[in-house]
Amino acid sequence: MRQIIKNEWRLLLRHKILLRFCFCFLLILILALFLSNQQHRAQLSTYKIAKDELREQWESIDSMNPHSAAHYGTYVFKPSNILTNLDEGVNGVTGNVLRVEGHVQNEMVYSEASQMMSVSKFGKLKASLILQYIVPLLLMFLAFSTVNSERQQGRLKTLLLQSTSLFRLMISKAIAIWLFGLSLLGFSVFIYTILNFNNLNAELFLRLILFLISYGLYYFIVVGLTIFLTIYFKRPLIALTTMIGIWILWTVFIPNIVMSSVEKWHLLPNRNEFKSAMKEDRSKGIDGHNPSDERGKALEEKVLAEYKVDSLSQLPINFDGIRMQADEEYGNIVWDKHFGNLSNVLIEQKQKVQLFGILSPMLALKNSSMGYAGSDNIHHQAFLRQVEDYRRIFIKQLNDEHAYGGSKTGNWGWKAQNDFFKSVKDFNYKSTELKSVWTYYLTDNIILLIWSIVTILMIFLGTKRMQII
Amino acid sequence: MVTLNQVSKSFKGNKAVDKLSLEIAEGEILGLLGANGAGKSTTINMLLGFIKPDSGAISINHIDVVTGSESTRKLIGYIPENVNLYNDLSGVENLDYFCRLANLKYEPSKLGEFLLKCGLQLEAHHQKISSYSKGMRQKVGIAIAYAKKAKVLLLDEPASGLDPLASNELSVLLKSLAASGTSILMASHDIFRVREVCNRIGILKNGILVKELNSKEVSANELETIYLEYMQN
Repeated sequence: MRQIIKNEWRLLLRHKILLRFCFCFLLILILALFLSNQQHRAQLSTYKIAKDELREQWESIDSMNPHSAAHYGTYVFKPSNILTNLDEGVNGVTGNVLRVEGHVQNEMVYSEASQMMSVSKFGKLKASLILQYIVPLLLMFLAFSTVNSERQQGRLKTLLLQSTSLFRLMISKAIAIWLFGLSLLGFSVFIYTILNFNNLNAELFLRLILFLISYGLYYFIVVGLTIFLTIYFKRPLIALTTMIGIWILWTVFIPNIVMSSVEKWHLLPNRNEFKSAMKEDRSKGIDGHNPSDERGKALEEKVLAEYKVDSLSQLPINFDGIRMQADEEYGNIVWDKHFGNLSNVLIEQKQKVQLFGILSPMLALKNSSMGYAGSDNIHHQAFLRQVEDYRRIFIKQLNDEHAYGGSKTGNWGWKAQNDFFKSVKDFNYKSTELKSVWTYYLTDNIILLIWSIVTILMIFLGTKRMQII
Repeated sequence: MVTLNQVSKSFKGNKAVDKLSLEIAEGEILGLLGANGAGKSTTINMLLGFIKPDSGAISINHIDVVTGSESTRKLIGYIPENVNLYNDLSGVENLDYFCRLANLKYEPSKLGEFLLKCGLQLEAHHQKISSYSKGMRQKVGIAIAYAKKAKVLLLDEPASGLDPLASNELSVLLKSLAASGTSILMASHDIFRVREVCNRIGILKNGILVKELNSKEVSANELETIYLEYMQN
């Protein structure tokens, strides 16, 4: 086996056209990684400048009514981790800036300006584009070529007479071509590691390994299936066109059909429906700005009873802040319900899409690639939850200051001082750890593994029925 | 020793080989003459174990080819009409690779010796196969069988397309291999080359062995007459 693999490599390395192609490929890959890295750094730097500026503005508030400050709000930025240089995932379409303020949970806005114009038409030059589309194509042609040349040039008889079995020969060829794909993948990761050496940590390293494993399995499937088809069909043209057809199905048709179907099976509300439903539910709660609101009245009575006083003017605190917070908390319940529903639908959609990896391992690869790069919807949802958690603490702090900071009910002109605003903590994004999300990618990995095993079996069965003559 | 006993093979109802019985002793060269479709290549492929006979028995060194093809293939060297090797590798590299596949590891000098023994000039050893002539490729093919210490050598139209010098070199080489104990079966159209190289000659027609001759007992012209008689009848 080792001899066959070694010989395949020797032949590959003597293939001048292939070497020229690989050279160009590696240049493009380096360029893609370099550009991604530059873009990532520029983005981080922009975020940092904007974040610092916003924080400075916040901390420079000399005096302001806390509730006005809640409306003034702040902005948080979605920092991408360095693995998104390999696979940008949904980051390009989700946007990366979120306004945090009282009463409302805003949506992500402002995707990068660089995503406008040509990028939206042609997509970005990301390593994932090359690793998911170009490398498998190259591997397909190499796998086809190695088996076909043995067959067409009539070397099979001579090879089999040297005490090697057809299965051993074919599986060794599959491994040799697969290793070639892995070496391209390894090169990408090597360049990536050099570019990001200082930022790598155990978490990212683990993600990187799992990222590599997913691609490794996918490459084996592509190579193995091509070898099987080349064995199976006597006519090489049919074998190659079948494989290209399968590849187009895997990469274009099945993902699109599956996504459209899954979106119909598990309907997400459209933006207007979602907002209307939120608004309707929210209207059933306390209106923080309406003192004559019935539920507000009930809360008022409760607070008056707690403080054993008869009127709001007798309260030692500012009831407006309490009402505002009650309104907020009700809003939070409404958000939890709707966002939870949304999240459940998204997870159901994801699970269905994952199952279709049985039909197209490309789906499984894409899912796990984005997942391990931390750029999929699961990570995006986790970010949104972190922001919402922060928003709740942020607004509660402002409402509490309004209620208990020293003002009285109705005193909207009361202002908190600079010390208070400085004490309000800034949003610090804590990256989602793999241990909390790895189960989401288990199905994809199992499917890739099953495909790999099935591919080996197919090669085995193919060699059993292959006619040497 | 190679034995075929009442071997038959049909393809889609057409008899390719019909009750063929042959024996090739150690050090003997048997030539099989016959027109295209006479069953020569089918016979060789059955001996190689790539085609199973419908009936009859084939054995090499008393090992059944059907049930023990893994063992018998170790004993066989095969030279097709066009020896196809890896064009991007040199003669030595090709020989080394095929030897290693058979779990034989030779020093480069030994590989060179094999090639020299099979008539490949030293200066060609490290040239790429793509620059080799047909005759040179055949020499590498025979060197593969030689290095493998094949007990049986099967040749399918080996002299076809060779220039007279290369063809003569092939004859000398085959005789030398037979002298060292190799059993050789050579299927060919070339009556004169078969007469010159082989000890015995069989004429196949429609899968039937119609005539067996001792090459010493017939001249080339007589052999041609006999062959044509059988082919025309």
